[in-house]
Amino acid sequence: MSAKHRLAQAIGMTTVGALALGLAACGGDSGGDDGVTTIGFVAVGPEGAWREANETNIQDTFTEEAGYELKYAPATNLDQKSQIDAFTSFVDEGVDVILLSATEATGWEDSLKRAQEAEIPVILLDRGIEPNDTDLYVTRIAPDNIEVSTAVADWAVSAFPDGANYFVLEGPAGVSVVNERNEGFDAVAGAQPSLVKVGAQTANWSTEEAKGVVETVLKSNGNDIQFIFAQNDEMGLGAVQAVQEAGLTPGVDVKIATIDGTKNALTALAAGELSFVAEYNPLFGETALDVVEKVLAGDEVESSIVVPSATFDSPEAAETALPDRKF
Amino acid sequence: MSANAHGPSEALKGLVRRQYFWGIVAIALLLLVNLVKDPGYLAVSIGQSGNLAGNVIDILRAAAPIILIAVGMCLVVSTGGIDLSVGSVMAVAGAVSMEFLNGASDTVGSGLAAVGLVVIVSAALGAVNGVLVSVVGLQPFISTLVIMLAGRGLAKVITGGQNTTATNETFRWIANGYVLGLPVVFLLALLLALLMGLLVRRSALGLMLEAIGMDAKAARLAGVNRRALLFTVYILGGVLAGFAGVFATASVMTVDVSRTGYQLELDAILAVVIGGTSLAGGKFNITGAVVGAILIATLDKTVVFLGVSSSATPAFKAVVIVVLCLLQSERVRRMFRQRRAAGAARPAEREVVAA
Repeated sequence: MSAKHRLAQAIGMTTVGALALGLAACGGDSGGDDGVTTIGFVAVGPEGAWREANETNIQDTFTEEAGYELKYAPATNLDQKSQIDAFTSFVDEGVDVILLSATEATGWEDSLKRAQEAEIPVILLDRGIEPNDTDLYVTRIAPDNIEVSTAVADWAVSAFPDGANYFVLEGPAGVSVVNERNEGFDAVAGAQPSLVKVGAQTANWSTEEAKGVVETVLKSNGNDIQFIFAQNDEMGLGAVQAVQEAGLTPGVDVKIATIDGTKNALTALAAGELSFVAEYNPLFGETALDVVEKVLAGDEVESSIVVPSATFDSPEAAETALPDRKF
Repeated sequence: MSANAHGPSEALKGLVRRQYFWGIVAIALLLLVNLVKDPGYLAVSIGQSGNLAGNVIDILRAAAPIILIAVGMCLVVSTGGIDLSVGSVMAVAGAVSMEFLNGASDTVGSGLAAVGLVVIVSAALGAVNGVLVSVVGLQPFISTLVIMLAGRGLAKVITGGQNTTATNETFRWIANGYVLGLPVVFLLALLLALLMGLLVRRSALGLMLEAIGMDAKAARLAGVNRRALLFTVYILGGVLAGFAGVFATASVMTVDVSRTGYQLELDAILAVVIGGTSLAGGKFNITGAVVGAILIATLDKTVVFLGVSSSATPAFKAVVIVVLCLLQSERVRRMFRQRRAAGAARPAEREVVAA
């Protein structure tokens, strides 16, 4: 009983403390035009290396030196409700701009309308919303999956002038990223009769599963596969190991292309194990800063801004990029 | 473990009567399907450096981690409990070993030290389960669910949210090496399963576990130390899951904190059920769990070999498993047998696998 009581007390104290802090923070803000712009960032939180690079980059861009106060609110366990709560409290606080990376695409209409009534501009980062009502937000800043996967297909077409048998390692079935990456790739590669798709299978973004899948696929095709397209770096790295274990040389017998551009993938590209890495650029803090400044100045911005992503097609390119790779 | 038989024909009859017999039939059928697609499917060749290579070897390798968690799950289930945390314990084990090896030198010593560390950490996680179940008296479903959620979080904290990679030849050898031409992982998994089987079946341990699963109160009155046994069983389950985590991460020398061991608890439960262990507790069959684990690995590999599309994969697996459970069900089998003499019908086995 007493333990329970103490726990309740502790929770009470913490809540009071948090409220007090919150109020203090509000007090500071409503002090108004001391040149500091408050930004509420409704974020996804811990999800993986890409997300971490992305959100750290945003936090590092909107610094106090740059004249911003960024309030970072990551979702708890990718839960949309916690995001909506954070969003609502930002609206109530009256921040100047809200940045939103939605964990789920649907169910944002009411929250966005509230922000609109409070005349707080909302900028979507990376993740879009469904239905995509462009009246409800200012702009969406994100890299384009279709563009990135098209780059992979373009490279494949040029790398295999004599044609090739290829296999695709997909992410989990039905996820929008997977569909978009397939769409961009198939549009180009599918139109090329010399590129023959021997199959596609999900490896759930995982290195281990990808290794298992490729090991079997190589056997079922008698090692007659020249190109593997892995929809993320981790799966590509698994494919490399499977190819090696089958007694083939990755990069020579089987060329492997991946999307994302993490440090691990570029290291493998520098070592010649991967042949092509298309970046899905998470570092768009600068672009976001630019847009925020424009919006606050009352300028018009496009409703969709595509973040340019680099591609790496040689060990040399990877080596140049590696030293200051952030993710 | 053994079918109490006196002659080969009796042994065969005993085998047919076992529930896992249908698991073996299913494995054979799946292999047959693959064989139809490619007549060379079962061929085992001697690859580079004298190791056996072939689809069957791949299946055995893929089955190894599932065998371990299935054996652990089997013991936990026999006490009327369930361990949902095995997948997360695998992730923690992977995270611990990769973080350790990432900073350590590439020596045999550090490889073994990593395995030792995994045993300690996974035993600790198993012990938390054990305390929650046996001392605090929480339901096993809830306590292990807590560790399932917390474990994955813990793995993320250990690696800082990254998918850590490392190099260590010894550690890598565990998952990719060969002894006598056979994959080390499979031999290790089989050895551990065998040890577990001997431990529980050659001593009274197995009976006591079953007694707890049948009626905890009666078991206590009969002098079975329920608390200590439950505690031990969850620790064993944790350690076996830790080894499975080592197998899974050593295979690619990368831990994927959100994917390593993801939903493998379901595979383990399935393997246990296919093997004829009742989820209601009170009886278990380790050989069956091993057969079930091999069946799941065969199924996974078959899906890829046949090139079943990603979106149809879950449906394909579900169909195979539903058919298998129907075959195992005494009632369905009796319907098929009705034409035979009425005297042949045996009394229904106490637990019919619920699909």
